[in-house]
Amino acid sequence: MRGPPARHPEEPKEQLPAVEGIISDASELEPGDRVVYPNQGVCEVVGVQELEIAGAKHRMVRVRREEDGSTVMVAVNKIPSVGLRRVASKDQIEGVFHYLAAQFDDPELDWKVRHRDNADRLMAGGVLGVAEVVKGLHSLSRIRPLPTKEREQYDNARHLLVHEVAVSLAVAPGLAEDYIDYALMPPAGVKFELKPPPKPVMLPSRPRRRPVAEAEGEEIGLDDLGLPDLGELGIEGEGKAEGEAEGNGEEKPAEGEEAGAEAGEEAAEAAPAPKARKPAPGKAKPAREAKKPHEAKVKGAKKPVRPAKREARKPAAKKPARPAKRGGKK
Amino acid sequence: MIRIVALDKLDPGDVAFLTRTLYQAFGLGTEFAGERPMPREAETKDGRVDAVKLLAEVQPVRTFADDKVLYIASAPLALRPGPLGEPPCWSFAEYGGEKAVITTAKLPARGVSEASIEIFRRRLGREAIHAVGHLWDLHHCYDAKCAMHPSWSPALPADPEMDLDTFCREKSERKIRLAKT
Repeated sequence: MRGPPARHPEEPKEQLPAVEGIISDASELEPGDRVVYPNQGVCEVVGVQELEIAGAKHRMVRVRREEDGSTVMVAVNKIPSVGLRRVASKDQIEGVFHYLAAQFDDPELDWKVRHRDNADRLMAGGVLGVAEVVKGLHSLSRIRPLPTKEREQYDNARHLLVHEVAVSLAVAPGLAEDYIDYALMPPAGVKFELKPPPKPVMLPSRPRRRPVAEAEGEEIGLDDLGLPDLGELGIEGEGKAEGEAEGNGEEKPAEGEEAGAEAGEEAAEAAPAPKARKPAPGKAKPAREAKKPHEAKVKGAKKPVRPAKREARKPAAKKPARPAKRGGKK
Repeated sequence: MIRIVALDKLDPGDVAFLTRTLYQAFGLGTEFAGERPMPREAETKDGRVDAVKLLAEVQPVRTFADDKVLYIASAPLALRPGPLGEPPCWSFAEYGGEKAVITTAKLPARGVSEASIEIFRRRLGREAIHAVGHLWDLHHCYDAKCAMHPSWSPALPADPEMDLDTFCREKSERKIRLAKT
């Protein structure tokens, strides 16, 4: 069995099928109902109350986390968007167990994608999404130990799953965990008769960050601002000093032609030519920069500047050392 | 404080070893709190003992806040079957609670030689750490070298380690620090 798809390719979130049991309206909630708050676990609805915050009145649903009794307040109009849902039914839980027990040999190897998708699954994937996180990270842990962040994520997902299974099957959490690990790591010789697992959770696609190269290539309207050219202002780029030092400003155009147009293109791609203080439109400066060291040796052309610099530094190194002070600082 | 309670006869040497092991694993004082009878209500028709009922029906031990009680039984334990069947039971603990039970029925035979006794004790120590770990909110661990790895896992070596791995140890230390009264 292959793992869950990394992400839904095209459709925006609104068009995806809602997770089973999701609560879309506060009127569906009654005091005493058990609901699951994403990433928080099983909670009990206490009631609806009105709160005044910054002068405005808000209707809030008050839920209490069963694990530690802490209170969570959810604004009534936010209920459809926070992902509050009913506790998984027995059929759903059975599907989860068949999913956990199935062979799974295709964990996502890109940790950034995996971590982001797992966070989304925990938030919006329902009980199956949580099971997918547990299963995915568990199969990955068979290949290599999980990094700290994912180890914590695995533990959190396991915690949420254990408690939801325990509530759904009305058993103790310790027993629910044994059920889960019996499915995940069956003892030697045990084989389950598995049903086809439920369809994996579809997650909405995230907006992709635009590549930098595209953004640079596009017209962004800087010309409209009427700013003068940096060269005219006498502002030098970082590459200016290097360019001057390397070529000493006396490079012949003929040498540039010898180096060939290909090398010139490579140089232009590799490092954009720094702007000259006084631009000379006739000279082909990039051709000199494209010259490779080995070509310079063969043709007896000018030596690269760096060795010359070293020579210049040599006398400084030969300076007689100062006589060492005896005794030093006291 | 961890309190060890025997539901059947237990060798004093084994108790001493267990006390020492649990103290080293969790940094908590550990003592033997005596023996209690096995509750009859927990026995099943096939001669095993229902672990969940056992913890519910067993005669209580006097405890204080944050104390944990570890019961040791020699009868095999049984669990309610789940969606995929009944998982094998080496121990059962109230997750984040107060009571846990382990059985010696599935451990290697104690024997009389020093080597066999040593193997038995190491395995008993591992199960005890596993059960008490659940009482301190630890979940099962995927690392086969960790004491929180499920005891029935095929990845478990023949002579498993008695220690917690770094993640589980740090988590238990954090929980103990927060819970100390």
